[in-house]
Amino acid sequence: MQSETRKVTLSAILRWFDPRKTEAGNWAFILNRVSAIGLTIYLYLHLIILGKLAQGPEAYDSFIDIVRDPIFVFGEFLVVAGGFIHGLNGIRVILNSFGIGVPYQKQLFFGLMAVAVIASVIIGIRMFTV
Amino acid sequence: MSETWTIKYVIYREKKGQEPKFEEFSLEMRPEEYVLDGVEKIWAYHDRSLTFQHACHHSTCGACGMLVNGVEKLTCITKIKDVTENGGVVRIEPMRNFPVVSDLVVDMSTFFSRMETAKARQVVSLSESPTDSGIKREPNAADDLYRLSDCIECGLCISACPITATNPEYLGPAILAAVQLNGLDRFPELLSWVDNADGVWRCHSAFECTEVCPSNVEPAWRIMDLRKQVVSRRVKNLFGMK
Amino acid sequence: MQNSNTLPKPGESTWLWLIKIITGVLIIGILVLHFIVNHYLGPEGLLTFDEILQYYRNYPIVPIMEGFFLVFVVSHSLIGVRSIILDLNPSRQFLRVLDVILVVIGVVSIVYGIWLLGAILAQAPPA
Repeated sequence: MQSETRKVTLSAILRWFDPRKTEAGNWAFILNRVSAIGLTIYLYLHLIILGKLAQGPEAYDSFIDIVRDPIFVFGEFLVVAGGFIHGLNGIRVILNSFGIGVPYQKQLFFGLMAVAVIASVIIGIRMFTV
Repeated sequence: MSETWTIKYVIYREKKGQEPKFEEFSLEMRPEEYVLDGVEKIWAYHDRSLTFQHACHHSTCGACGMLVNGVEKLTCITKIKDVTENGGVVRIEPMRNFPVVSDLVVDMSTFFSRMETAKARQVVSLSESPTDSGIKREPNAADDLYRLSDCIECGLCISACPITATNPEYLGPAILAAVQLNGLDRFPELLSWVDNADGVWRCHSAFECTEVCPSNVEPAWRIMDLRKQVVSRRVKNLFGMK
Repeated sequence: MQNSNTLPKPGESTWLWLIKIITGVLIIGILVLHFIVNHYLGPEGLLTFDEILQYYRNYPIVPIMEGFFLVFVVSHSLIGVRSIILDLNPSRQFLRVLDVILVVIGVVSIVYGIWLLGAILAQAPPA
């Protein structure tokens, strides 16, 4: 049986991230998976770090001073952009799963990703100029 | 009149107990010829030990699916000029996500037995199966006509699916598409088979199956529709409706 | 011989998927608000401790919303992690262990988050 002869290999996992013919749906899958992993890691780091709020204003505000460094702002920007990409692509998956817009999934993907880019740029300008 | 191209075929070779390797063959081919024609020429004139599957040569039997330059193709209907150019390379590999038996032949037995469990039909009535022109007729019409089912069980969608790559237990596009075509209303017993961890929820909408399907099945669309069927049945069951 | 032909693997069903979808939609809404508050409300971008307190006190609904937001995000992320691991064809034994781990992470995160909300509100200076 297939299930016994084939083990999960690294090369098989890398196929998740292989854009191949660079079709829209495959890119959507890749972006969704990468952003999902990134956002999950961020979420739990975020929850742990917010523990500083319990230690009072000094502890928290000194942390906020650190993360106003451009390197951290850039990292945060990636999180925000990842949030938009994952969320908007999620809308595509939901619509398709309920039978809406399946023949237009490519246009849907490009449209939603355009929204993600615009939203990220708008919020990015604020993040880097404030 | 008929132009001839020089094509380099790079063919995956694997025999039991030997390391897989690639062999090169130089062929003279017309751009209008099909990729499968080249594979047959190699077998006929260069190496009789090359194993591959084919039968009908007109995209009905679904036997000749292979990876052509990294993409799943039904080689009997894929023209040379559509995958390469004069002096170019045609790289032929067996389909992915199936165990290789020999050279370009893969073991599709699990796939076929799952198709059987899905009660996949070779012939469907016209009313259940809209044609390209979108003709859809009322079910159970007395004169309902029949046609061959779109799915030719070539396995290209299984080969293209990124999830099947890491999870062979995932039923896969063609199987879920067959269940969708049959409908859960008709075969309610298939509900628990598709509504589980290796069923319809494994799909993550990469649409690779639809991209490579040579036969208008559009498995991704059918998986999405099957989800709708599953959710509606589960919700109905929850409220005690039949 | 394990074969999903005869042995459907339970463990991801309509309901789990629907929870992922519904929490996903709710998260989108709250996350947009979260982005706006954290990057536009404070005059210098990210909110300072006092600004957070002020925000919570001006809008008492906010801490409650944050509590629900936490539950949605944690559920969505853990179901998502499980979904990615299911793509790797885990054994049934592994899946059982994983489920316990994920539930523990989820419960701990939510209890911790709600405790944190309480701790922040407790530090509020008298009005």
